[in-house]
Amino acid sequence: MLGFVLRRSAAGLLLVLVISFLSYTLLSIPDLDVGRQLLGQSASQDLVDAKNAALGLDRPVLVQYLDWLAHAVRGDLGTSWFTSEDVVRAIANRLPVTISLMAGVTLVTTVAAFLLGVWAGVRRGAVDRFVQVFSVLGYALPNFLVTLVIVLVFAVRLRWFPAIGYVGIGESFTGWLSTVLLPVLSLSVGSVAGVAQQVRSSVIEVLRQDYVRTLRARGLPPSRIVLKHVLRNASAPALAVLGMQFVGLLGGAVLVEQIFGLPGIGSMTVTYTTRGDIPIIMALVMLTVVGVIAVNLVVDVLIGWLNPKARLG
Amino acid sequence: MKRSATAALLVTASLIAGCSGSGDGGTAGGAPTTLNIATMTLPQSLDPKDANGSALPFFQAVYDTLIKREPDGTYSPMLATAWSYDDKLTRLSLTLRGDVKFDDGTPFDAEAVKANMERFRKGGGAQAKTLNDVTSIEVVDPTHVTLVLGKPNPAMLYYLSDAAGLMANPKDFAQDDTLKTRPGGTGPYELDAGQTVIGTKWVFTRAANYWGSRLPYDTIAISYFDNETAIVNGIKTGQLDAALIQDADQQISVESDPEVKTVKQEFDFQGMFLFDRAGMVTPELRDPRVRQALNHAIDRPTMLAKIRQGRGAVTSQVFGPATAAYKPELDTYYTFDQAKARALLKEAGHESGFTLKLPRIPAIVSDALAASLQTDLGAVGVKVVWDDLDPGSAVQRIFKDRAYSAMVMNMGQSSADWVAVGEVVLPGAFNMFGYTDDTVKKLLPKIQGSSAQDATADLQALNEHLVTDGWFMPFYRMTYLHVSDGSVTIKPQDGMAVPAIYNYAPAQ
Repeated sequence: MLGFVLRRSAAGLLLVLVISFLSYTLLSIPDLDVGRQLLGQSASQDLVDAKNAALGLDRPVLVQYLDWLAHAVRGDLGTSWFTSEDVVRAIANRLPVTISLMAGVTLVTTVAAFLLGVWAGVRRGAVDRFVQVFSVLGYALPNFLVTLVIVLVFAVRLRWFPAIGYVGIGESFTGWLSTVLLPVLSLSVGSVAGVAQQVRSSVIEVLRQDYVRTLRARGLPPSRIVLKHVLRNASAPALAVLGMQFVGLLGGAVLVEQIFGLPGIGSMTVTYTTRGDIPIIMALVMLTVVGVIAVNLVVDVLIGWLNPKARLG
Repeated sequence: MKRSATAALLVTASLIAGCSGSGDGGTAGGAPTTLNIATMTLPQSLDPKDANGSALPFFQAVYDTLIKREPDGTYSPMLATAWSYDDKLTRLSLTLRGDVKFDDGTPFDAEAVKANMERFRKGGGAQAKTLNDVTSIEVVDPTHVTLVLGKPNPAMLYYLSDAAGLMANPKDFAQDDTLKTRPGGTGPYELDAGQTVIGTKWVFTRAANYWGSRLPYDTIAISYFDNETAIVNGIKTGQLDAALIQDADQQISVESDPEVKTVKQEFDFQGMFLFDRAGMVTPELRDPRVRQALNHAIDRPTMLAKIRQGRGAVTSQVFGPATAAYKPELDTYYTFDQAKARALLKEAGHESGFTLKLPRIPAIVSDALAASLQTDLGAVGVKVVWDDLDPGSAVQRIFKDRAYSAMVMNMGQSSADWVAVGEVVLPGAFNMFGYTDDTVKKLLPKIQGSSAQDATADLQALNEHLVTDGWFMPFYRMTYLHVSDGSVTIKPQDGMAVPAIYNYAPAQ
């Protein structure tokens, strides 16, 4: 298992390097003229050129990249060109918001999707149809619509929760809970729908296996068969889907963070990418890549633990 | 079931109690008061050389300006108590307060003014050009300073009440980046670094030893949002105290809430700038009849009704109602008359029409506006082709490459005539081809050498010429809505879309 983790980590590191190079090069292709954007349309060309030179943008892209990399490995990700904030601090300020959302959604999804999926797969009939309809609806409803309805009903109309803003968990636990509950709920609808469907199919498939029939014939209680044997075998594909959902959440978080006015990584990505703020965007890209690799690694390890055959691949 | 519902209510009530304190802008019981303002402007830094119009409130909190601009656009003393021009209007003498200190105790004096202005000019920020006409700054004594101008500039007092007048502590100039995140001025508040998250929320707390009269709030928090939906929800729930809403649909949404208080202001106008009047990119535009035809071809009242839900006023002139140049009758100079437009195009020899390629930044040109212009101009034979641009590369293509002969823009209407002239008539960003004509050349020196009141006739003549010669194709002035959760009274600021921080007070 250790060898597997080490192999995957080394591959991950290589991937980080390749993606950082590709991202930097791609970001530098559109001629955004950062100096002009910073100084405004009416600034003279001399000043704009001086500004670009001060930012090091007059050098070849490869040199700029190597310079960025040399600083990045030492933990210095630079300063935002557009707001003058320290990149590491800027991301550290916003990361807890997005992590709160992602952790919340993953927790809700894991619990709700496994309950619904197992329930539907074991009971079938009306329960199954209900879960199926819920899954289709949850998947089909546009995320922005769900979010807007949730915020309008529970925050603006009923005033049960704040409509905007974020309170740090260290500042006040109830404050934190009240600010992340609705966003997590909004993001969970689609996520639960997707994973529940996967769990249901896996459970049905495992229940058809010969060894389940054998277990039944030996007179094991059905609850024990489901919890110990079926669930363990049905979990692997569901975990893979859950991992993908987790990664996909970054995209969904953009919209939810915007509607709830949450200062997270998602809304930050949109704001700074449209401006071409390379120091911030590169840091966000690296964060995403490392996050995706880490999640995949965790999922693979978990699947390998659940199903030793998977480790061979 | 009933018990669990009650428990849920109790839990939610405690949650609400835990989070509702932030929006409390009231004054009861002498408790510290906070004003929560929402903004969609992200300041580049808090260094005055990076200041610009819509970001000004961030700066006003920590810096004073030399001259204060009142809500109605008149000037009153701030760091300068008096000012006067010589007869030639090329020497502007300022008398300064002698009792003002920066946060660290350094006295504010004439040397500080000189140091700030010289740095501002060299700093190369967006507004540095406003001091282009200043050739030198003479320090007479600690409380007297004279700005020497190369030529008269009727907008100089306006600039000193704006970014160019912001005074920072010269001690912070030694290290160039200090002021970006740690501003130091003489203003009514100080940045609270502990509570501020740059890029998200800036918190300013009252400066203990402020020389001037206290503003009503102990703390001012300015939060950045990238969309108006969140702002409107924050106002409706009282989490935000004040904001500016530009989008017509959001305005309607926020007005539906009985507790929300609103104040209207017409500030930006939307229209097409026909930059290429010399016909360098689109030769057809060289003929004033073609520009007039374009103006007659569009249905302004319908555009206003459909695109802005009727929120605004149609206009054919670029000067706003607060200026001396403004003539009410010019608002309706170009009627919707496509037959006349076709006749004018025929007269100009372009009856078969031509193609007009326009840049399109979706944030400014909505689908409805793009379709409306395409249909109206298409009906008289002018084929509009939209080039979709992202805001990043748009600046480059439009202003540096000069790739387009015209562009749809939203532009603020300054109350200072010469500021407006500088923006749209003089060669520069919004007259990028540097076009001029004999009438303009004759009128500008006369306007420049006198005050707006004395130059009213010439300013109006200039305005009339710009309209009749078709320099621009304005559609309408847009009504913006200042909204509050009911706890704040907001006075709109003349010459600025966002109110100055001095313009907020607890509602009675």
